[in-house]
Amino acid sequence: MSEEPGLDEIEFAENPEPRCPCVLLLDTSGSMSGAPIKALNQGLQTFKDALTQDTLASRRVEIAIVTFDSKVNVVQDFVTADQFDPTSLSAGGATIMGTAILKGLDMVQDRKEQYRKNGITYYRPWVFMITDGEPQGESSEIIDQASTRIASEEENKGVAFFAVGVERANMERLKEIAAREPVKLNGLDFSGMFVWLSTSMQRVSHSKVDEQVELPPLGWGTV
Amino acid sequence: MSATKSQDVVSIPPPGSDQSDGWKISATSVCGSSHEKLDLPCQDAHFWTVRSDGILLAAVADGAGSAKHSDVGAKIASQAAVETLCTERNLASKLHNKSETFRPILLKALKAALKAVKAEAKARTVKNRDLASTLIVVIATPQLIATAQIGDGAAVASDQKDHLIALTTPDSGEYINQTTFLISPKALATAQLHIWHGSPSHIAIFSDGLQMLALTMPFGKPHQPFFSPLFRFVSNTETGKTEEQLTSFLRSPRVRERTDDDLTLMLVALPDCAHATTSQI
Repeated sequence: MSEEPGLDEIEFAENPEPRCPCVLLLDTSGSMSGAPIKALNQGLQTFKDALTQDTLASRRVEIAIVTFDSKVNVVQDFVTADQFDPTSLSAGGATIMGTAILKGLDMVQDRKEQYRKNGITYYRPWVFMITDGEPQGESSEIIDQASTRIASEEENKGVAFFAVGVERANMERLKEIAAREPVKLNGLDFSGMFVWLSTSMQRVSHSKVDEQVELPPLGWGTV
Repeated sequence: MSATKSQDVVSIPPPGSDQSDGWKISATSVCGSSHEKLDLPCQDAHFWTVRSDGILLAAVADGAGSAKHSDVGAKIASQAAVETLCTERNLASKLHNKSETFRPILLKALKAALKAVKAEAKARTVKNRDLASTLIVVIATPQLIATAQIGDGAAVASDQKDHLIALTTPDSGEYINQTTFLISPKALATAQLHIWHGSPSHIAIFSDGLQMLALTMPFGKPHQPFFSPLFRFVSNTETGKTEEQLTSFLRSPRVRERTDDDLTLMLVALPDCAHATTSQI
């Protein structure tokens, strides 16, 4: 009898992992100082820990962090979760949210361009904004521009934009800016929120959809 | 229903085709680790038969992760498509003699699948989209292969010289996890319908879980070092022994560390080369 051909000879195509980009837009204005920023920093660590428990998600989910106070800072350009090392954020200054939103959406667009250039497949990017206030310290044109841009990106399914309000955040104003209903965080439960975000990113990066992935229930906030 | 159950069901050719006419076929669907984690059933399904006139009919369907009963939808779609083609009269002469008849024939199979899925949704009083799945249908003779595809996954053939032919390409939108399903509004209008004339030696049909391992993305070029060993395997391994090995291959750590999705792989060796020892690379 001839020897059976082995399946161990099979070699796999070397494709880069598909990427699932996620931009965090984080409010680091003065009002976030003290307990909120501390809880946020802990939350970021939780986010990393939760994502890296999932081997595939840790290679697929790409995180970028943009903070906004009186300036917009790209604290972390896109890195896969396994390379992500959250730096401790501090708070102080105004809240130039509109500028940050435009920056975040630009980063997403550039990232997609890079993926395409390199033949990397990808999932729909998420932008996740967390604030405890409202736009402050920038012109209203910028804010209008930001909200128009969110609306058109959502319409074209270019990104999914989520806004989360903390404590005294102006939820009415957030509703005007973001196309989706903003979520009010329960207390300072950033950890709960980031565990949810991680689970959602894992689901997104694992599932096949025609339109929308069913997200886990919000245990950390209310719509 | 579990993956094993679906395998048991589909491995039994329907009455009237108790002979495989020299075709060697090995097919399996296994549950992905992400489905196990979320306690979801295997949502892939496959079905095949060899008609009494020797034509192979095969289908693979991949249920949408977001749809509640997509495991059922996938099973019904793949079975209905094959069974419809089973009753098509003079299939061989229609395909061989007229250049365009493959389109209505394939569309008929897709429509029958859609109808069956819709009927099931109605019977269960659920939405059609709760039974959403992709669908790949293959009709093969030693002279041609006709394929229809809605959504992702792909069908690949090799000719007598071991050249690989991408019979279909995975259809996804801008995003890798976005695809068209049988129940999607424009599914039939945008279905890939192809016919390839030549002398095939092997065919592989697989769901999207294997895409990243089997194809060079993003253009979907078949990866030779993936397919050649599989084709040799199905040709040279004794029938009846292959499914178990194929299943354990798909469940092996080296596959699972690259993909966590449900996996379906159907391998076919055509009658002429089923016994040949194709030991070329």
